[in-house]
Amino acid sequence: MDSDSTLTASLLSVEGLRTYFNVSEGVVKAVDGVSFNVEENETFCVVGETGCGKSVSALSIMRLIFHPGKIVEGKITYKGKDLLKLPENEMRKIRGKEIAMIFQNPMRSLNPVFTIGSQISEGPIAHFNLPGRDAWKNAIELISKVRMPDPEIRAKSYPHVLSGGMRQRAMIAMMISCEPSLLIADEPTTSVDVTIQAQIMDLLLDIKKKRGMSVMLITHNFGLVAEMGDRAAVMYCGKVVEVGFVEEIFREPLHPYTQGLLKCLPVGFERKKELEVIPGTLASPVNPPQGCRFSPRCNRAMSKCKLEEPALLAQGHDHLVACHLYGGE
Amino acid sequence: MPNLAGTKKTVLQLLRYRASLAGILIVLAISLLALFAPLIAPRGYAETSTVDMLRPPSAQDFFGTDMYGRDVFSRVVYGARIALWVGLLVTFIEASMGITLGLLSGFYGGIIDKAISAAGDMVWAFPSVVLALGVVAILGAGLTQVVVAIAVVSWPAFTRILRAKVQSLVNREFILAAKAIGESDFSIMTRYLLPNLMPSILVVSTLTLPSAILYTTALSFLGFGAQPPTPDWGAILSEGSAQLAIAPWVATFPGIFIVITALGFNLLGDGLRDLLDPKLRI
Repeated sequence: MDSDSTLTASLLSVEGLRTYFNVSEGVVKAVDGVSFNVEENETFCVVGETGCGKSVSALSIMRLIFHPGKIVEGKITYKGKDLLKLPENEMRKIRGKEIAMIFQNPMRSLNPVFTIGSQISEGPIAHFNLPGRDAWKNAIELISKVRMPDPEIRAKSYPHVLSGGMRQRAMIAMMISCEPSLLIADEPTTSVDVTIQAQIMDLLLDIKKKRGMSVMLITHNFGLVAEMGDRAAVMYCGKVVEVGFVEEIFREPLHPYTQGLLKCLPVGFERKKELEVIPGTLASPVNPPQGCRFSPRCNRAMSKCKLEEPALLAQGHDHLVACHLYGGE
Repeated sequence: MPNLAGTKKTVLQLLRYRASLAGILIVLAISLLALFAPLIAPRGYAETSTVDMLRPPSAQDFFGTDMYGRDVFSRVVYGARIALWVGLLVTFIEASMGITLGLLSGFYGGIIDKAISAAGDMVWAFPSVVLALGVVAILGAGLTQVVVAIAVVSWPAFTRILRAKVQSLVNREFILAAKAIGESDFSIMTRYLLPNLMPSILVVSTLTLPSAILYTTALSFLGFGAQPPTPDWGAILSEGSAQLAIAPWVATFPGIFIVITALGFNLLGDGLRDLLDPKLRI
């Protein structure tokens, strides 16, 4: 694979990652040979349908894959360190302090029996041995930074008295408490409503700018990608099918899957008779189709597509696509 | 037109509420009895008297006297101390074992879980009283040995309940979030899982305590527990059972206390469970 167009060291680079789950139905190849880079100071989006392996990729980076899942193969380099080779206690120092992660559901991501303040204090106490009182002050400051009103009162609240948006803010405060260089946000706004969604995203962008950290945003929402992303990777069935700058992907999507996804978006105010759909359903990750995994649903599939798996190849400036239509042999 | 179903529900809830209130009162009464035994008991529990043998209950000795002329009321009052002490001790040991083993097997799973569960299953495969008798037979008779024996035979229940609870918690997102912030396994177990287990620990403890008391009295009744003249309820009952035909009061009163105490703790435990685990409410 000659996908390394940028040879300058990225903040995070994932190469040929394969994460499989051994279940009774067989081996679920949730992530099957995924490669991408996240640069310093950028917002990198990972887009795809539910079940395409976005979240599993993120959890693999954090090394939070548990039985029956297993990272089978691949290399994850963060600041020059191979994360998959680190011993567990070294990895623990990375989690939270270097790479932090926000989860989909803020309702369930907070410990129900502790106050918000003490949960936000948890990270700095673990990583910097901050004394409890300082950690508490720090937590109050973080709560005001994530724009929650009455930080001192909020610090003493338990998660169940907060609204979904407030909980997600608390979660963000908790995850930026150790000033990570990379924040992975796994669909941070799927469980909050649209106005709150905009606020949360705005907050994330703001923190990103102020702290100079990178954000890896996992979403199925192309609107968010257009709004937030610098670069994006489109995933389909455990594979990256297209990577590039967001403007370029929107202006000139190369992969038929990306084209299909973009066609599905309602545009402007004009009322289409019906929204476009991509025919068929997401391919089974247990028994993926031979050749290109999208070929059974692709309207431009050729005979070659059913036989040979396309590699992720460069098409123009930092734009990679895995499709035989662009095979520059 | 009165809502019959609604009324029935309210009555049931009220009954349940009344029941737990009764439980609280019983537990409180027994605890006070145990705490102030020397003040409440008119005579020492081992004070014998050759002239007062086997006197029936009267205004002077409420529960009568036994074949050595000892005051049964005083003995029953002091017996509350032993029952509660043994109950608390066994519950403490079982809770410590249950929390540790339950956390380990629920959190780590795999081979650790298999080993702990298999050990628990093995203990459960025996009839518990027989196993407890076996343990006492090895260790010798006595209250301390009885405490050990009861802990040995009944730890799997506590462990199993907590293990199941941990398993249901361990896949929750806040545990994943704790891992993502870089918490160690130990602090996840003690600072994230344990506080969430507290309601279950409290409920299971209040239900373990009466069963520990019943085991103790059973072993004492069989002569393996408290040795004379220790006023264990089971031991008094056993002594009194010989004269059941001529002096039924000696065996009856400790029996009543055993039943009331066990009932009180069970009612309290049920009430707590209703209160702390709303999911079980129908």
